[in-house]
Amino acid sequence: MEIKKGIAVSPGIVIAKCLIIDSEDYRIPRRLIKPSQRMVEIQRLRNAFKEAIVELTELKAGQNATEQRNIKDIFAVHLRFLRDRSLRKKITDFVHGESVTAEYAVSATLREIASNFARAHDIYIKERAADIYDIERRLLRQLLGSRREDVAHLTEEVVVVARSLGPTQTATLNKNFVKGIAIDAGGRTSHTAIVARSLGIPAVMALEDFTESVSGGDTVIIDGNRGIAVVDPDSETIRQYEEYSLGFAELEHKLVAIRKKPAVTRDDVKITLLGNIEFPDEAELVLQKGGEGVGLYRTEFLYLGNPDEPTEEDHYEAYAETVSFFKHRSVVIRTMDLGADKYTQSQRFAPEPNPFLGLRSIRFCLQNLMLFKTQLRAILRASVLGEVKVMFPLITNLQELMQAKMILRDVMEDLDEESIPYNRNIEIGIMIETPSAALTAFSLTQGVDFFSIGTNDLTQYTLAVDRGNELVSTLYSSSDPAVLRLIRTVIQDAHKAQIDLSICGEMASEPEHIMLLLGMGVRTLSLAPPMIPEIKQIIRSVTIEQCNRIARKILGMNSERQISSYLRDAARKVLPEAF
Amino acid sequence: MQAEENMLEKTVCETTVEIKNADGLHMRPAMLFVDVATRFDCDITVSRDENSVDGKSIMQMSMLAATYGTRLKIKTDGSDAAQAIEALKELVEVKMFDEPPPSEKKKQ
Amino acid sequence: MFFQTMFTGVIALNCGEKMILGDKMKFADFVCFEATIPELQATDRDGVISELVSAIDKAGRLGKDSRQEVINSVIKREKEASTGMGKSVAVPHVKHPAVKDVVAAVGRSNVGVDFSSLDKQPVYSVILLISPPDNPDRHLEAMESIFRHLQQDKFRKFLRQSETAEKIEDLLREADENPSL
Repeated sequence: MEIKKGIAVSPGIVIAKCLIIDSEDYRIPRRLIKPSQRMVEIQRLRNAFKEAIVELTELKAGQNATEQRNIKDIFAVHLRFLRDRSLRKKITDFVHGESVTAEYAVSATLREIASNFARAHDIYIKERAADIYDIERRLLRQLLGSRREDVAHLTEEVVVVARSLGPTQTATLNKNFVKGIAIDAGGRTSHTAIVARSLGIPAVMALEDFTESVSGGDTVIIDGNRGIAVVDPDSETIRQYEEYSLGFAELEHKLVAIRKKPAVTRDDVKITLLGNIEFPDEAELVLQKGGEGVGLYRTEFLYLGNPDEPTEEDHYEAYAETVSFFKHRSVVIRTMDLGADKYTQSQRFAPEPNPFLGLRSIRFCLQNLMLFKTQLRAILRASVLGEVKVMFPLITNLQELMQAKMILRDVMEDLDEESIPYNRNIEIGIMIETPSAALTAFSLTQGVDFFSIGTNDLTQYTLAVDRGNELVSTLYSSSDPAVLRLIRTVIQDAHKAQIDLSICGEMASEPEHIMLLLGMGVRTLSLAPPMIPEIKQIIRSVTIEQCNRIARKILGMNSERQISSYLRDAARKVLPEAF
Repeated sequence: MQAEENMLEKTVCETTVEIKNADGLHMRPAMLFVDVATRFDCDITVSRDENSVDGKSIMQMSMLAATYGTRLKIKTDGSDAAQAIEALKELVEVKMFDEPPPSEKKKQ
Repeated sequence: MFFQTMFTGVIALNCGEKMILGDKMKFADFVCFEATIPELQATDRDGVISELVSAIDKAGRLGKDSRQEVINSVIKREKEASTGMGKSVAVPHVKHPAVKDVVAAVGRSNVGVDFSSLDKQPVYSVILLISPPDNPDRHLEAMESIFRHLQQDKFRKFLRQSETAEKIEDLLREADENPSL
């Protein structure tokens, strides 16, 4: 049994078999076996070799034409290797001598041979290293069988383990089969974490080397509350977790009861709770959990997982579905916020050296007006179906805002020309997520109907920390006094200009931050639906007076550690079960 | 017993060969060598300097990394040791693995 | 420089000649250099708009007798929503059938014009754009190009400092070739 500590990114407990998702090589951990299992492993080896030889023979037979002679030759070489008795003996001896699994023995032996080849001066021999890796993969495929399939084709309940998950993979996670997630990389606000929370799947990230500690099919426990992942737990540990899990389920039940109750403080101040969604089918979850509408509808999924740019109809269909579902409840649609990733980089001839600070999000849109227009048209068309608001991300100055608004206006004129109906008075808002926007928030209030503070990016840019980098993700903290001061500035500017303000970053779903946000004047929160009940519970347990006191105290503190422990203590008093 | 010992003594052969083809003992020649070697019953050991490998193992033969000009010692031990060593010598030095020697290669 | 002088000569005769290099629209593809006003006479917003539209008309780019109509349309639109982008720049524009293809004119003011910009500052550089209503994509391409350059501090500064029509044209052409001007 091995206990690994990472970052808790999505609450819940799960005990299940794991499925390892690999992007490139197979990394096989050393899995020791009992001496009594050695014969089993050796038999597995024999079978693997036999199957691999059959597979190769068939492949070789299939290559008949003379052009494919080279391929045939390669298969011939590989077959020779697989039939080589001394190779088989070497691997078998390894299993015997070291008491390891067949996979480990195959991998270790072949990799040693491959690295010997790679060291040779002779180029022909050097190149053979690739052949050895190929043979390794072929044998491993036989040994590991179907346990290394990808996320989209699951047939049983598993915990997904990976070095990292790309947006396409997270977009195709099947909630019915994926019961838990354990990732080497990332942190609380990485995309995978956000999706896991939205779908209510327990997840732990930033485990660093978890993929090297497990083999496909191992039983693992994912503790998404405390950020722990356990490999091959012993029976006592399993028992303890099952008990703990029951207790947690009880809390969940309590929270379900809260759904119908209003989100008002003990002194009768109403707080509006909205949901952050990514896919149209999360709309139902928002209402189910007691949310009143959508404070952030992320539209990036339309661009990912698809090599072609989404058409206006693709956009419209998604928006129409969501907006119709919510009818009179407001839905804030955020324009494309992609950047620092595959989509915008693949559009470029020369990739940007620092895409995170580069042409992304609204900037990318303003430089690609066709793409921007397509999305805006769809949003405007959907605006007649319900209560739609449009929000521009990453606005850092007035010019960007003006440009975006100008294009929106141009698009409206086009629709007029085509006699296509839309809401002429659609509310326009922006995300405040950079220090520059936060510090000049007042001037930005003049051109918008509302602000939404994107605390994730605001924190990243202010603290100069990449939230996806597990090496520094612990430096990221929304309890940092610098971040809090900026948030307070924005709230004050919004109040002064009398425009609506909401928090749509992860901070809105963190129990320890709610009282502080309320105390700073926030009255609208938009968060991942599964967390809505818990946050509502906290709201119903406090008074604004209490919150104001806390906020005053915090804003006088200068240390992140002091702030976060104070907040944790305060929250624990209000909702002890959540900790 | 005596007869068997005599037989054993008779059937250990040794020779030294030199790699004559331009590309040396890469995968294809190594395979040919092993193909020939496995036709025989005797044990076949191939040595290069201090390293000795099993001449019937493609894995080990390819690890020899023998290039043009490398001298290899072949030792055969068994009933058909003599035939084995003749066949292998021919393959390496006469047929040169059916590959061109350096001078011809330059012409190409 | 020689190359540019040659081009200037050709363009003076043939305003709006298209030379599309690469897939992004260039100033030279739609700016009517003949209609450039390096020193705007008008000091108020509507006057400036009128002046620039008239210049485009004089360069032969507007349909017959449509000058006043276009002026009214631009002003009407500007009244509804200011195109003062801040940082002393404004981009009044309208879609009108009086033009067959996207056309723009650049105007410079020495004294500053009130365009009701959000940053409350006067405007010293104006790019007025007229687009045919049946080709919204061309309009967006031109806007994209205008945005791309106006975003750059250096470009805006140089534009403000270019005192003659020739200098303005040189600046725009150079910006076309060297986007990171």
